Amino acid sequence: MAILAILIVAATVGGPLAAHLTGHSPNTPYNNAVSNRGIPIGVLQHPYNADGTAHDPHAKLFVLGADSLGRDQLVRVLYGARVSLIVAFGATGVALLIGISLGLLAGYCGGWIDAVIARLIESAIAFPSLLMAIALAVVVGPGLLNVLVVISLFTWFYPARIVRSVTLAGKDRLYVQAARTVGARPRRLLLVHILPQAWGPLLVFGTSIVANNILFEASLSYLGIGVPPPTASWGQMLSDAINSGFYRINPSMLLVPGVALVATMLAFNLLGDSLRDALDPKARR
Amino acid sequence: MTRFLTRRLLALVIQILLITFVVWFIFFIIATITGATPAQRFAGRYATPQRIAQVAKVLGTNKPYWEQYFLFLWHAVQGNLGYSYLQQRPVVDILLPAAAATASVVLGGMVGWMLIAIVIGSYGALRPRSLGDVLGRAFAIVGMSLPLFLVAPMLALFLAFQPTQGQLFGLHILPVGTHLFPIDGYVPLAQNPVQWAYHLILPWLALSITYAAVYARYIRTLTIENLAEDYVRTAEAKGVGRTRLLSRHVGRNVAPVTLTVLAADVGGALGGIIFVESVFNIPGLGYTGLSAIENLDYPLVAGVVLFAGVVAVLANAIVDLIHGLLDPRVRLGR
Repeated sequence: MAILAILIVAATVGGPLAAHLTGHSPNTPYNNAVSNRGIPIGVLQHPYNADGTAHDPHAKLFVLGADSLGRDQLVRVLYGARVSLIVAFGATGVALLIGISLGLLAGYCGGWIDAVIARLIESAIAFPSLLMAIALAVVVGPGLLNVLVVISLFTWFYPARIVRSVTLAGKDRLYVQAARTVGARPRRLLLVHILPQAWGPLLVFGTSIVANNILFEASLSYLGIGVPPPTASWGQMLSDAINSGFYRINPSMLLVPGVALVATMLAFNLLGDSLRDALDPKARR
Repeated sequence: MTRFLTRRLLALVIQILLITFVVWFIFFIIATITGATPAQRFAGRYATPQRIAQVAKVLGTNKPYWEQYFLFLWHAVQGNLGYSYLQQRPVVDILLPAAAATASVVLGGMVGWMLIAIVIGSYGALRPRSLGDVLGRAFAIVGMSLPLFLVAPMLALFLAFQPTQGQLFGLHILPVGTHLFPIDGYVPLAQNPVQWAYHLILPWLALSITYAAVYARYIRTLTIENLAEDYVRTAEAKGVGRTRLLSRHVGRNVAPVTLTVLAADVGGALGGIIFVESVFNIPGLGYTGLSAIENLDYPLVAGVVLFAGVVAVLANAIVDLIHGLLDPRVRLGR
């Protein structure tokens, strides 16, 4: 939880605050943060002086070093938290919306509608989703909104499956029938009486899928088909470190976004685990 | 039996059709709407309209969309996945050697991560809440949070490279620069088995670290559930030993379910392979796909996605069929 709190603070005020304190904007390449041979400076180093021969102790410190273009890693990693969270929560939200609607529709209507949706969910789960998402992302091109839509298109079937099974089991319960007898419309039945039965599993699912979506976004950005270049994102910072080859000289280029990513994933996975233990004692895995 | 077979095979056919349709839709419809048509891309930037029309006729892209899809399917069945824009040779000729390299990486990695998972998972199930179990679960949750594209370069950094500074945060803390394993490329199995394994150890390790976690957790919960069953008590009463109980009695119940999950993960592993292959320079499907993505070589990307997708779906179907043959509950289920 603590990590989550830090993360949310980082995503909201951390970026601008760090930018203010260090005097470095997230997307500006600083020439003096790269040596004459093109090697970026490391952790806690001052930028080079005008002729690039020595570190200038009066210039603003690069707390977590610089990337291959000379941008401040600290500022970028904090701004990257913002992108990660927007995409992860946004995609989870869209996936839940699609999944809940289709799940309710399938479970409540039954018949051929249910058969079609159930088959769709079944085949979608067997789909290699990362591959397909990569394929779609290649074609629609990079962009924050594109990434969000692509990710949600390949995750909606899990909530759909949960909601469908809950609706199937729940629509014939006595209190639902009672509500129907007193004249509740289908909309009210679904939203007020049936859907709340699914909140527990959906919450557990939601946290673990947020973690997955953070990874998903980082993977797409790492491949250069996620969030478009000047915007900072963790996947992109990792790919910059690896593709420029400078991580061999400055492992911190890899560790800064890497630790941010792993800590976030860990926080969400742990949260999902404890939620599962608390809400769903019979869950497997 | 026949009912189960036909149902599963029908589902397989639908899934394959769905994959071909999605791939075709993505690369030949959306790509055409958002960018240049395949004919334009193939003919090059400076081609005249007549030339583009000519190429479109050869490629068959001047026909209505539905006809194009069936043409695409027909060609795919015949083993023709089109021509790479950049390399100007059949996609299949590029895919097949790449698939061999990828198979070595994925299958070897699977053996690695299953071994780790079985050891950690069954130990945790036998002695729940012991120190080893707590450590094992900690490993599992950390492993689940480690992205492949962080693990692979870290392994490369610590075990394969000779960094010029060899420092971390400005200090000589970690033994960087050991140069134990090669980073450059891949030696086919047929050429030299020892070199083949030597070049693949790091990729296998990277896959094992990231994927073992899920299976260790899975095997642990399943084994704990099974150990509480009556048949275990009966076996113990008969005097069956610990090893035999675990391997013969519990193992037979845990293994098929775990295999099903493993097959479902083939698709995920084929996606993750991109990061491993690009870091360790293995000329497999992921590496080919990545360079095709960078060059916007759509037929090649489509070929890689289609091939990997069909392999993933086939793996699922085969495991389901075997599971159904062995376990009547699955065959008659639902």
